[in-house]
Amino acid sequence: MQIYEDYKDHADFLTIYIREAHPLDEWRMKSNEKDKDDVCYAQPKTLAQRVAIANDFTQRFKFPVPFGVDEMNNAANDAYAAWPERLYILDESGRISYKGGNGPFLYDPKEVRAWLAQRYGEVKHAEPAPEKKS
Amino acid sequence: MVLAYVGLSILAGGPKDAIEMLRFALPYMHRGKLKVGDSAPDAQLVALDGATRFHIRARSNGRPLVLVFGSFT
Repeated sequence: MQIYEDYKDHADFLTIYIREAHPLDEWRMKSNEKDKDDVCYAQPKTLAQRVAIANDFTQRFKFPVPFGVDEMNNAANDAYAAWPERLYILDESGRISYKGGNGPFLYDPKEVRAWLAQRYGEVKHAEPAPEKKS
Repeated sequence: MVLAYVGLSILAGGPKDAIEMLRFALPYMHRGKLKVGDSAPDAQLVALDGATRFHIRARSNGRPLVLVFGSFT
């Protein structure tokens, strides 16, 4: 996540894992099965299952952004109307400063980058080189 | 009605996807009532160790806090 690398010295970031969007036992997507990463899960029924998927995600992609998992009562998801994916920025006083649209069609990280750039200026670090396959 | 179903099928990716979208996606997809300027709601989250609990608002450290909601699929 390049925005995180570029602005982590200025802002805090938190990824919140919420209920799956396209699990095997609900709205299954063929694209997930064709994906080379084979992202196929049933909708978690327990917190342990949710945490296991979250750990798989962070380890598989070496995901550097701080991470939290929504409780099984979906409290964070409900509070922020977040499903299936959504971006927010809270300002220093704890108020909503940016509210993104529902993904996938209205999910736009460029708007977050623009908010941060307006506040802190344009920051662009070099992207890490892809790992060489052995 | 037929046109709506065809349109939804195109949007969702196919006839089967349209039905699954209606059944599994629409109940959870909301615009939400939060507005820019509102006090951000708080909620308890679980850390990746599966045991530690923390609150969203506790992660701001006096700086703007970018929240990225999503799932694996």
